Amino acid sequence: MTDPARPLGRGLIPFAFLAPALAIESAIVLYPVLRTTWMSFHDVSLFRPGSAPFVGFGNFARAFADPVFWLSLEHSLIWIGVVVALQFLLGFATALLLNQSFWWRGLARALVMIPWALPSVIIGLMWTWMYDYNFGVVNDLLMRLGVLREPVAWLARADTTLPAVMLALVWQGFPFFAVTILAGLQTVPKEHLEAAVIDGASALQRLRHIIIPAIADVLATVLLLRTIWVANSLDVVLVMTGGGPGYATYTLPFYAFLKAYSAMEFGYGAALSLLLTALLLLVVIAYVRRTAQTLAS
Amino acid sequence: MKRRAFLKLTAGAAIAGAVARPAIAKPVTVRWWHHFDNPQASAAGLIARFEAANPDIKIVAESIPWGGGNDYYARLFAAVIAGNAPDCAMVKLNNLSRLMEMQALEPLDERIAAWPERGDISDAIWSINKAPDGRRYYLPLQYVVIYLYYRADLFAAAGLPPPVRFEDFEAAARALTRGGVFGFGMRGGAGGYDNWGPFVLGGGASFEAGGMISEAALKANRFYVGLGTQAKVIPPSAPTDGFQQIIANFKAGRTAMAIHHVGSSNDLVAALGDRVSAAPVPRAPDGKGWTLFGDESSAVLAGSQQKEAAFQWIAFLSTGANNVDFNKLTGQLSVTTSGAALDPIHQPRFVAASAASLASAAVLPNSSKTPDFVASVWPTNMQQALLGQIEPDAMMRAFEAHFRG
Amino acid sequence: MTGRRTLLLRFVAVELPLLAILAFAIGPYVWMVLTSLRPDSDLAAFPLSYAPSAVTLEHYRALLAHTSFAGNLLNSLIVACGAVIVGLCASVPAAYGFSRFRFRGRRLLMTQFLVINMFPVVLLIIPLFVVMRSLGLLDTFIGVVAGHSTFSIPFAVWMLTSYLNAIPRDLDEAAALDGATRLQTIRLVLLPLVAPGLLTTAIYIFVTSWNEYLFAMMLSGDHVRTVTVALQLFVGEFTVQWGLLTAGGTLVALPVTLLFLIVQRRLVSGLTSGAVKA
Repeated sequence: MTDPARPLGRGLIPFAFLAPALAIESAIVLYPVLRTTWMSFHDVSLFRPGSAPFVGFGNFARAFADPVFWLSLEHSLIWIGVVVALQFLLGFATALLLNQSFWWRGLARALVMIPWALPSVIIGLMWTWMYDYNFGVVNDLLMRLGVLREPVAWLARADTTLPAVMLALVWQGFPFFAVTILAGLQTVPKEHLEAAVIDGASALQRLRHIIIPAIADVLATVLLLRTIWVANSLDVVLVMTGGGPGYATYTLPFYAFLKAYSAMEFGYGAALSLLLTALLLLVVIAYVRRTAQTLAS
Repeated sequence: MKRRAFLKLTAGAAIAGAVARPAIAKPVTVRWWHHFDNPQASAAGLIARFEAANPDIKIVAESIPWGGGNDYYARLFAAVIAGNAPDCAMVKLNNLSRLMEMQALEPLDERIAAWPERGDISDAIWSINKAPDGRRYYLPLQYVVIYLYYRADLFAAAGLPPPVRFEDFEAAARALTRGGVFGFGMRGGAGGYDNWGPFVLGGGASFEAGGMISEAALKANRFYVGLGTQAKVIPPSAPTDGFQQIIANFKAGRTAMAIHHVGSSNDLVAALGDRVSAAPVPRAPDGKGWTLFGDESSAVLAGSQQKEAAFQWIAFLSTGANNVDFNKLTGQLSVTTSGAALDPIHQPRFVAASAASLASAAVLPNSSKTPDFVASVWPTNMQQALLGQIEPDAMMRAFEAHFRG
Repeated sequence: MTGRRTLLLRFVAVELPLLAILAFAIGPYVWMVLTSLRPDSDLAAFPLSYAPSAVTLEHYRALLAHTSFAGNLLNSLIVACGAVIVGLCASVPAAYGFSRFRFRGRRLLMTQFLVINMFPVVLLIIPLFVVMRSLGLLDTFIGVVAGHSTFSIPFAVWMLTSYLNAIPRDLDEAAALDGATRLQTIRLVLLPLVAPGLLTTAIYIFVTSWNEYLFAMMLSGDHVRTVTVALQLFVGEFTVQWGLLTAGGTLVALPVTLLFLIVQRRLVSGLTSGAVKA
């Protein structure tokens, strides 16, 4: 694959291509990231700007000893696993369907964008109202369909709140998968598919043996990106439940946010976020290693 | 000797002369941050009136999203840190200690002492607004007092008078919990400590050392949590109900009583008319009561280059007719005695209930731990207790540990 | 031929499931639209009624006439378009660099891009505010665009890299053999083929900027108010302006939807056998 006339990896040419992106990132976000990292090693209170004693790993040790941290981590892991999986499956199915030809395909594709286009405040308030005990559409429809005999306080019970909020997140995020995978499906070589049809392969076989391998890289990438996004999302939780009832919907980014903005303990909040970042970093490194292997082969 | 005295006199005269000479009026711009519930409300009228009376001061008003308080204060703190703070802003007491620790506020004692309209604000309100270090950083702007809304028609049908003591309250709630209606729309979500306070703080608990775990405090809290877990007079959604839910439920007739304040009165009257009325929150058997004073004040920021002009503006807003016009934009009550008598926007029975509640109105302690108590410690413990995940006593111990531990 | 049967088959296998998915996708939105068309008094009605007691446009009228919402929509549009332009200008070259070159530190640089997005933005916001202030970019379009593109660029780079990776290197080499320079290869061969991916990345940046709240709230003021901040202003301390909020919520989704309706036609397969053979 290497062209001897154009040696790879030599010279500054690749970095010239990276320059604009790197420049913007360093100018804007480098300082905040470094500062947040610095804060995690100090006892920083936003309203005590003068004193920020160095505490080393103190904040991290405090996190490990903090039962709310472990609870938030557990919720975050469930949250990430379930939400990303459901968003992905629904989005993938939608992309496959939207790739077929039928006369209202354009309209369908556009309508699917709607959940993604709405800001979190609207999503949070709408879904909270839909789950309302007295005025909620969810209770009303389920009672009319005979599934429920009396309304359920979806957002006030420890067992239903997290799934309820996760449903809202799945709704919000599946269009992203639908659109990105739809674009990826465009790169599947048509002639391979046609040859497979001629050979008598079923739709499922075509999916497994031609489509998925062709877009594997795209799928893996969007899964990774979405996992990071979902792991860090806290807007909708904030609006819908504020972490409640009790600690039922505390996720790690939400807890970090609460510590930073409500208790103003920025150092501890920063440490909590860094722990989440470290977790995600492991996932990213694993991904990068695997793709480097497949690309090198 | 003579020479020194002569020099002193000359210096004194020179200084006096400098002060007596009229200051050259240089137009200054005052940046003012505010938040109004209704985005259609605009302070333009008040600003025009002020600028007409003070031609050398220009007011630039910025409306900042409230976002449950988080957004507004995140902006304010960030601006203070970045050196970009406004000259004056609307502020609440729950953030006073933090702003003080950041040294963000300008003490206003001398300016208030020289302010001719200060007598129009009652002593009770002045004393609530004082900072822990004895100085004044806040100028009262408006307020609400938490009281009890009740369905006058349902109470009349059941032959019950509006509740006065805790026992009356529980009896009424039990009597009215039937046919899908719940006696009390308890607010268990964020901000619900204003429902909890009257029963528990009014029942003997306090924020002093050991005040949350005294016998009386624990008993009062068990009673309050028991309204949900034993008497079952609250809707199943109560643990996470916020003010929207309790007002919506009360409006639709799903609850017979709700605890809130005059800010929602017009909305309720529009839906219920004469069927809704208000009374002060119930009191303990010994007659003592507690209710929340919902404050809002103005402050001048320490980094301002136009402190005098900024003070002129905020003093203008807290003066008589201006204050009443300001309240028209926000729906709260005037801090001035003259303005309170005029109230053109609220129905009299709700203003009366607020006034009757002022005597037992108080604020949460001025501690930097209070905002965290409000946003996180109180809701999580209350919700867990209502769901039976922890004992009510554990809740009170957690509060004690938060403030003292 | 078997026209009837394939039509029925297509309906059951494709259109029916899609209708179900769309019902899920737009159901809550439709509910919001319905709410925006009813008078406020309907909201307190119990039990729930689906049909409005009266259809009214008063909320839309109030929204457009008495608030700055229309202007906010325009601001959001400007910011989002700006973020797309800046974002693509930075990510397309970067993605090309990552896809077509192998160099030391490549994996590290790709990873570090993502690290930024792995931090919850809420914690970065106050130091970011200080940075923006020192650059003099507060309450300016450039400031918000810079903030938005900074957080879109990492994802955009990764997405574009993977779309570019799907295009075989043979094409680059074939073009080089034909005498094309690197830039000509990019312009004439790669960009047309990666157009669906480019479009998707542009859509991603646009939507991310469009519904973004935190930056818009912190970094802008009265001059550059986006639509997400405007909507938050309807959620007050003591009241929620449901009529204005639902009317605004209905309108805020429309530009994105319309935009996608127009551009989605370009989402066609760019890779045909012809290109590979030639």
